[in-house]
Amino acid sequence: MSMGKLSFIIAENSYIIRTGLVRIINSFSEAVVLKEATELNSLIKIVNKHKPDFVIVNAKLIADPHDDIRTLFSDNLSTKFIIFVGSRRKNEHFVHFNEKISVDDEKTEIIYKIQNLIISRLPTERSDEGNELSEREKDVVKQIALGQTNKEIAEKLFISTHTVITHRKNITGKLGIKTVSGLTVYAILNNIIEIDEAV
Amino acid sequence: MLFTKTSKLAEIVHQNYLLIPIISRFGIKFGFGDKNVEQVCKQYQIHTDFFIEIINTFNDKEYTPSKKLRELPLNITVNYLLKSHKYFNQVKLPIIENLIHQLKWENADNKNNKLILDKFFNEYRNEVIEHTSNEEKEVYPFILEIEKNFHKTRADEQFLNVLSKKSIRKYADTHDELNSALLDLKNIIIKYLPPADNNEITNQILQEIFGLEKDMEDHTKLEDSVVVPAAVMMEKELRKQLDK
Ligand SMILES: [Fe+2]
Ligand SMILES: [Fe+2]
Repeated sequence: MSMGKLSFIIAENSYIIRTGLVRIINSFSEAVVLKEATELNSLIKIVNKHKPDFVIVNAKLIADPHDDIRTLFSDNLSTKFIIFVGSRRKNEHFVHFNEKISVDDEKTEIIYKIQNLIISRLPTERSDEGNELSEREKDVVKQIALGQTNKEIAEKLFISTHTVITHRKNITGKLGIKTVSGLTVYAILNNIIEIDEAV
Repeated sequence: MLFTKTSKLAEIVHQNYLLIPIISRFGIKFGFGDKNVEQVCKQYQIHTDFFIEIINTFNDKEYTPSKKLRELPLNITVNYLLKSHKYFNQVKLPIIENLIHQLKWENADNKNNKLILDKFFNEYRNEVIEHTSNEEKEVYPFILEIEKNFHKTRADEQFLNVLSKKSIRKYADTHDELNSALLDLKNIIIKYLPPADNNEITNQILQEIFGLEKDMEDHTKLEDSVVVPAAVMMEKELRKQLDK
């Protein structure tokens, strides 16, 4: 269930450290480690492909960590970069990175840094209204619960099948319900349809 | 925590009580004293390596079943999968159904809740039954046939004939729908169902569903990443005989 979670990619060649970083990130309920890399080339490939919210990369894997790391990746990437350093470089300042984590950081420091990064990325409005269905989406839920196909729904609501599919995706994202039977249950419980209308 | 054949079985249960149904699926009964895994497995004639792989896979979600598991005779794994089916269909799902029947809503507005939930659950249950019985009647026997013929110098003519018509590949990935239905069931109860008058039953239902989900995830993992790939590999080899 990685729906709506902030994604991390971790680039680190030491198994011990990588495992530790993965464990720390995954311990945040809003975050998930998407992929791991052990060297720069594969990191570039997977970052360009997955466009994660964050990358944590060991300074050792980069030729010069004082250069702008973004030039290595495809344009208009909104990923934030975090540098991981050993004891020797822990007091250096890396202007091109959004954050620095050192191997000597205490638990509270790491947690604090990651928490702030996560907060910086969360949508500002994370209230219930964000997950409430729009009127249009309710129309679509109603039609699904009545047993209509995407094509039938499109005709009925004067929208394209493509738009119906987009609505369905958004509905599933908001409600956490995917199957037709599940959406039917939701529709009945929320008085979108009557119980005897359901197929 | 990684278990080995010298781990004491009692210690394993203390570490993770969720393993209890898994252990009992192997036919092991409590009262095993201080025996370690190897000793208990010997007593019950269980394949020790297989047992350890299953326990570790279930216990640690990061654990990937080792190559050993793929190299074991497939009937060991299939046998275990069959026992899991029995547990899902004859133990776990009836428990959940029974709990759903115990839910109570006095308020007239909510009189249909039980009906709605029960209907959804039954649809899910029927899907599980359909899925597992298809595996028992079609998929597993086919896999075992593949394995049997793989070990012969020359596969049976009759079997090669079957192979020219069907492939194990098409049985892969039929699990997504079952997962979605279970996820929906959880969200319906957690987020949308108005609270029942006897809320403690709702708690029990959720615990049972989460337990079932975990068990099924591991079951699917065994099918999708151990049994099917092994069969696919053997089928590929057997197909070479087909061309001759
Ligand atoms: Fe199965
Ligand atoms: Fe299955």
